[in-house]
Amino acid sequence: MNVDLLTQSPVFVLAIPLLFAFLTPLANKVSKELRNAVFLIGLLLTTLFVSLMAYEVYTMGSWIYVFGAEQPTTGLTTQSFFRITFLADGFSVLAALTIIITALGAGIYSFGHMKESNGLGKFYTLFLLTLAGVNGMVLTSDLFNLFVWFEVTSIASCGLIAYHNDRGESVEAALKYMIISVIAGLLLLFSIGFFYGEYGVLNYFLIRDSMTGSLIDILAIGMVMVILAMKASSVPMHMWAPDAYSEAPEPITPFIAITSLGSLFVLFRLLFFVFRGAVETSAIGSILIILGVLSMFIGVSMALKQSDLKRLIAYLSVSQVGYMMMAVGVGFATLGTGDYGIFGARAMEGGLFHMINDGVYKALLFLSAGGIVYVADTRDLNKLGGLAHHMPYTTFFFIIGGLSIAGIPPLSGFSSKLLIYKSVYLYNPVLAIIALVVSIVTLALIGKIFFNAFLGPDQGVGKKIPRSMILAMSILTIVVVLFSLFPNYVVAEIVVPAIEALGVGA
Amino acid sequence: MNWFTVFPLIMVVTLIIMGLYVVLFKKNLIKIIMGIALMQNGANLFLVSLAYREGYVAPIWTSAPSADMVLPTPHALTLTSIVIGVATTALMLSFVMMIKKHYGTINSDEVRRCRE
Repeated sequence: MNVDLLTQSPVFVLAIPLLFAFLTPLANKVSKELRNAVFLIGLLLTTLFVSLMAYEVYTMGSWIYVFGAEQPTTGLTTQSFFRITFLADGFSVLAALTIIITALGAGIYSFGHMKESNGLGKFYTLFLLTLAGVNGMVLTSDLFNLFVWFEVTSIASCGLIAYHNDRGESVEAALKYMIISVIAGLLLLFSIGFFYGEYGVLNYFLIRDSMTGSLIDILAIGMVMVILAMKASSVPMHMWAPDAYSEAPEPITPFIAITSLGSLFVLFRLLFFVFRGAVETSAIGSILIILGVLSMFIGVSMALKQSDLKRLIAYLSVSQVGYMMMAVGVGFATLGTGDYGIFGARAMEGGLFHMINDGVYKALLFLSAGGIVYVADTRDLNKLGGLAHHMPYTTFFFIIGGLSIAGIPPLSGFSSKLLIYKSVYLYNPVLAIIALVVSIVTLALIGKIFFNAFLGPDQGVGKKIPRSMILAMSILTIVVVLFSLFPNYVVAEIVVPAIEALGVGA
Repeated sequence: MNWFTVFPLIMVVTLIIMGLYVVLFKKNLIKIIMGIALMQNGANLFLVSLAYREGYVAPIWTSAPSADMVLPTPHALTLTSIVIGVATTALMLSFVMMIKKHYGTINSDEVRRCRE
């Protein structure tokens, strides 16, 4: 029997990082070079299988991957309704692409940045485990499987946050994140119990088909929304994010941000794909919009008073999550009405395009901030200065990432934000005005970091940036520039299939 | 409503409320983790009690006709969640050990260096 790699690719997207996660400590026993090589091969193979899955989805259409079925494309049958299934469709591909681009950048970056730390065998193990966990979260279409990947992600990423355990702050941030993740996981388990008790099934498709919208459903949906919004670091459940982002090792920070984007992907998948028929879409949409506006506004206002470089970017990242929640919330609120065709679908496009954009440019921003921390050995904006003399490349990468997060044309952040402004304005002009104001404040903050860290008299630094860090940032910069040059292509080829996969294509 | 189906649910609610109380109002980090463990047990009990059907036997294929077994899926889920619970509890306790080493205290009011 021949194995068709294309249709089997979803399982390899998980199996490869899991396998290589446990190969790296073994290779570490032999030599450092072998360990790095094994880790890099694992990352590249995962990228390869994500690309294969993307190719198959875009050429042949989506399929349900049923574990243990004779053929991976047979789909759900009455015999296999209890089996674990993965969904390979446009939305999974959008999420997996976002994750893998960031993971590539962060992984290559960590070669240079972490080379003076010890215990790196375990570092790379946890890195690949987190990658497997997030991939599993976005690919799975089984509620209990979602819980398992959720916990794998939590445990592995908490280990990574506490990696510098010689500093009390890292451990404190990790414990905070861990307590929040565990309580979130418990609530998820409860809502899974509710669904199972009511319908006796765990698969997304079967729950969707049997959902009635009873009181228990509403309770469970509410819990799932709270959990995933909390993991996505949406205000008012954002308090863990700045600590975790700023205390994690620099290469890991974008990766923690990606786990929260992954939760947001799962939230949108569940809302649109599973719960849509059973809930009042306008009410849930309004909740998403309110959470989004709060995140945008409070995130950026908290960022104003920060003097710690990474904390500042962490709060900016909280405010970016608000854009996606608001845009997708507008899409969800207008579902089923005539407005959806007029601007709801545009808002969805803007929101989902912003997710992949945000994953990439935020990673670039965090990594270039990591470069600043690496060279200057401080995160305090008041002590930094004159770094442009020493790190011209990083300065350039920071400008690209910073202008993109502020939504300055022609960078990719502008394309997605423009789609959001235009569509949200038609829903409610106040939302678009708030979004614009937040963008302007973001630009001011990026300017503040730029002037404080890069400009000014040369203060002299001890270290040079390793080449692997430059390479990692250039990969992300190339992706940002590509997204900036061809936004129409990205929206038509990647974002629109994702919206169609959610079953709400215009 | 039968006593055997209601009693576990009362216990579930009790465990969850006790756990939540501890997590929200106690300052000792070890006690907070104990509260989380209580909530985990509540969730596990909830899953097992979902599977219960009165008069049915344990879901072991060789010893029973298939129609008279309690639901096997929640048992599998509970096993998984017990294992995950052990892992998370151990990780959190090791974090608390390190916090004690760095801060000299495990009072959550004094472990506040991250907030500037």
